[in-house]
Amino acid sequence: MIGVKPHLKAVLNSYAEVLFIQRSPIIGFLIMLLSFLNPSVGVGGLVSVLSAYLFARFIGMGRAFLESGFYTYNALLVGLSVGYLFKITPLTLGFTAIAGVLTLIFSVMLYSVFSYYFRLPILSVPFVVISSMLYLSASGYSNLFVGNLYPHFNLQELELYTPLWLSGYLKSLGAILFSPNVLAGLLFAVFIFVFSRIMFFLATAGYYLGTTLKALLVGSLDKAFMDINNFNFILVAMAVGGVFLIPSLKSYVMAAVAVVVSTLVLSSVKSFWAAYGIPAFTLPFNFTSLTLLYVLGLVNFPMVARYIRRTPEGTLDYYLTYTRRFRGTERGIHLPFSGEWTVWQGFEGKWTHKGAWKYAYDFIITDAEGKSYSGTGDKLGDYYAFRKPVLSPVRGRVVKVVSDLPDNPVGKVDKENSWGNLVVIYDERGFYVELSHFAQNSVKVKEGDWVEVGSFLGLCGNSGYSPQPHIHVQVQTTYEPNSPTLPFSFVDYVCDGKFFSNFLPKEGEKVQPVHTSKHLSNRLAFAIGNEFFYKVYKKDKEVGDFTVRVNMDVDGTFFFETDRGRLYFGRYEGTFYFYRLEGNDPLLRLFFLAAPRMPLTEREVVWQDYLPMNVSLNYYQRAMLLFLASFNHKVFSTEYEGKILQEGKLIEGKVISPLAKGEAPTQVRIHNALGFAGVRVGDLELRLEKFSLGGENDA
Amino acid sequence: MRLKYEKPVITKVETGFMNKFGSSPLYARKIRKDIDGVSVEELVERFGSPLFVISERKLRENYKRLMQAFSSRYPNVQLGWSYKTNYLQAVCAVLHQEGALAEVVSKFEYEKARKLGMEGHQIIFNGPYKPYEALKLAAEEGAVINADHFDEIFELERVAQELGRQIKIGIRLNMDTGIYPQWSRFGFNLESGQAMDAVKRIASGDKLSLNGLHCHIGTFILEPEAYAREVKKMVEFAYEVEDKFGYSIEYIDIGGGFPSRIKLKGTYLSPDVLIPSVEEYAEKITQALYESLRPGDFPKLILETGRAIIDEAEYLITSIVASKRLPDGRKAYVADAGVNLLFTAFWYKFNVELAQEASGANEPAVIYGPLCMNIDVIDEGSMLPPLEKGSRLVFSPVGAYNNTQWMQFIEYRPNVVMVMEDGSVEVIREKEDLSDIERRERLPEKLKLK
Repeated sequence: MIGVKPHLKAVLNSYAEVLFIQRSPIIGFLIMLLSFLNPSVGVGGLVSVLSAYLFARFIGMGRAFLESGFYTYNALLVGLSVGYLFKITPLTLGFTAIAGVLTLIFSVMLYSVFSYYFRLPILSVPFVVISSMLYLSASGYSNLFVGNLYPHFNLQELELYTPLWLSGYLKSLGAILFSPNVLAGLLFAVFIFVFSRIMFFLATAGYYLGTTLKALLVGSLDKAFMDINNFNFILVAMAVGGVFLIPSLKSYVMAAVAVVVSTLVLSSVKSFWAAYGIPAFTLPFNFTSLTLLYVLGLVNFPMVARYIRRTPEGTLDYYLTYTRRFRGTERGIHLPFSGEWTVWQGFEGKWTHKGAWKYAYDFIITDAEGKSYSGTGDKLGDYYAFRKPVLSPVRGRVVKVVSDLPDNPVGKVDKENSWGNLVVIYDERGFYVELSHFAQNSVKVKEGDWVEVGSFLGLCGNSGYSPQPHIHVQVQTTYEPNSPTLPFSFVDYVCDGKFFSNFLPKEGEKVQPVHTSKHLSNRLAFAIGNEFFYKVYKKDKEVGDFTVRVNMDVDGTFFFETDRGRLYFGRYEGTFYFYRLEGNDPLLRLFFLAAPRMPLTEREVVWQDYLPMNVSLNYYQRAMLLFLASFNHKVFSTEYEGKILQEGKLIEGKVISPLAKGEAPTQVRIHNALGFAGVRVGDLELRLEKFSLGGENDA
Repeated sequence: MRLKYEKPVITKVETGFMNKFGSSPLYARKIRKDIDGVSVEELVERFGSPLFVISERKLRENYKRLMQAFSSRYPNVQLGWSYKTNYLQAVCAVLHQEGALAEVVSKFEYEKARKLGMEGHQIIFNGPYKPYEALKLAAEEGAVINADHFDEIFELERVAQELGRQIKIGIRLNMDTGIYPQWSRFGFNLESGQAMDAVKRIASGDKLSLNGLHCHIGTFILEPEAYAREVKKMVEFAYEVEDKFGYSIEYIDIGGGFPSRIKLKGTYLSPDVLIPSVEEYAEKITQALYESLRPGDFPKLILETGRAIIDEAEYLITSIVASKRLPDGRKAYVADAGVNLLFTAFWYKFNVELAQEASGANEPAVIYGPLCMNIDVIDEGSMLPPLEKGSRLVFSPVGAYNNTQWMQFIEYRPNVVMVMEDGSVEVIREKEDLSDIERRERLPEKLKLK
């Protein structure tokens, strides 16, 4: 049985996939049953999808690709379209199976071409092409037609009791899977609603917008509602507004535009195709959506979803959480000094950080009065920054050093050698970091040296275009001192007692680098096979056991695993993160709630974070709030505030939810050797009993 | 205004070189009428004389200046406040508020720090004598313990056995850093291999694990380069230990010894010329760290600077109670504070300031304390104008070692006050009376006189 289940899932997933309902074998099963209302359609679809699936297995396509139903739903649609045209006979079955195989190979090829050349999904293009082909080819196969055409089962009675504006919508919805009847449509609507409110909203609004517009053009509302080809509007709205763009007002506007445009496409296709006896199928949907997506990608439209999750709600939650939680850039570098310095000039600064060199930072040291010098400030030695160590902000190789330029007297600048004495380091992430204005002959590294974060480079000076001693740092594209700069951000620093994992300090802010504690990072260095045994307490009364295992995903990310879910975690620079929670394990969720991120430092710092809604809220709250949030992203968020105590052994936090009154206090205790000794959220607590290193570490 | 009568004196006429400071030695005088804005006269009126006055502002400033000098150069710096320098609760509390740990060297000081509210892990326990119970308590409470000798290592192993867990300890080293005299009585000698023997002993016992190194090269060290040599040797030793035994050395404690700005007896140059700034120490020490540390490795640098932080933040106000002429013609004054209060008078040539204007030409003068002891001299010779009985003098710096090494001898010890940052004045140690001194005495019944 073990062998059959995944295959079964894959086939069922294909059914749901047509309605953009991903990885829902149950809904898939129900849709399949509905397709059997018209047995020819049902059998046709099933035969086609099975043949495609078997062929895919035969040519050795991996399970991971097929499980989603991604490759096979086109075959399903083709099968349904054949079944819709012909009655089931051994002959038509054979015909359908051939069609299924053809669709699969075409899908796979098209997928490769589309994703490589256009970065586009294939949607149901293979279905449109293959089904059109079949309809055209079938016109010559007289043998198929003899006795194989049949009257359709349409549940006319139900339609009598339904107003036209509703039956039109429901039939269109059903028509997506070749079941243009009220019952199938109604159930599809329910499925979509259960799966995603955003999708349901889009489907409905899209349909009525498109249909109304068509009615205006045609001049008859009845005629517009009768046309089941209007399902194209539904698909366009769902794809554009909810799947490929991040649900938002912008994506909704874009969906409306797409629907409006697709009315024209639909009408033109219908007039043209009809001459050859082919229905429009989903051609208008494919044409409009793909064209639009390609253009939006081309102009870097900000709402194009980079990570498409299972539902639009999931995509939105991921996007909101991600943009709030991870605000820096991928070029995160450390502050190039020790102690507290002040930002003198940031990106696009008012003096020199302009044009191609706008991505740069200048730092000085200031005292309580905001002055950068003591005494009169007319000698370099008066300046706090002068001759303070400059440390490497990255690990990499030194590729350029200048060290012989003199330090200018205060207020004078050297315009010929703007960058003064400098060090350029190549970071293997693919960029160069330049540090400037070193004191004369103070640079202690040479070209070719390998430096680590915090390696001593030289002393802060006043060479080059520098009116007072300061450290200039920029990230750039080449090793040349005057090469164009790139955006970057700083990791692991404290500003006003607050820890920032990856962000940009503002001008005038005092910042101090935080170096990762080796202790803490060792204590949170999990390995595959580690197992932690907890006792669960509620109000200090023992209520059960809980065990988590550490495991690794195919892409190298680690997660805590229980039978009910996965909690992904990882470390970026000096911060330990919980990235995302999958499944529905309420105890695994405690870890995320109690400390969504932890700075790996023993200093008493505070920090802020945001919790994804699937961690902080229950299903119904989430469903409601995410739908609302799709209209206004700023509507609300679940904040977390943490604080390090006892040299990093204890983390106290609070979760500030927009729905719950007050704040939920949380606590995490770090074990002396490995992992979390205790986790508490409200009155629920996990206390570590024992742990085993397990896996390869068992000797 | 009627001129005051001044006794005629004969002074040697000094001609010759111009004084480059432009003032005549006969009329130059230093006047300090207030401490942090509170007048000396008012202080004496309210709290009596003699009187120790500590400036909270200066204390915090000194701490911040030291930490700023180091932390703007090295990312992992911590100060351990050396209790023995001045363990008045208010002083310790100010520094703990600023973020200093407590550095204690005896059971008594350990208890003092704990009572003040420091947790075990916020205490560094040094010193050549740590009684067994104190050692055990400190280990239990997670204090940083630096072992001084093999016998202490054995005792710590016993403690570990009793507690049933491994204890992390540091060891104290002594070494040649070019400073004479070389302090060799504390800890294990580096050059002779004794220190490595200690590590081997710790490793073979397997009850302790080594996580830190401590060294204190001396006091009032005027040569920053000596610390650079100390740091280099310590880091090299740390890596040798890490590589050979697999320990991780988490801190390098370089002890104290930075000078305050005061002229030592027997030195010729003025302190402004002779004494390097804290910046110079910081630059040499951190430079040495960067040169010897492996990249990206930042063990905690612990400083136990006492004198340089507290000394100049404290003053002693004393009053002239009598004057006399010595047979050699010098003027002599008797003040109400003596070496019973100013232990550092044996080394320091204090900065003596007048709390009021005084007319008349300066003449060489000696200032004696109130003790009926020949050694009670607090200033062996300064140029002072004629001072009347009741005149006030301000002695500074007096913050280091005096409030701990003073003694109740012949006289009571006076009030100690702190001028707070907001300008208010708080008594932080009340003056003694007879009951304080006799509280612990027991007079046998048959010796009672009435």
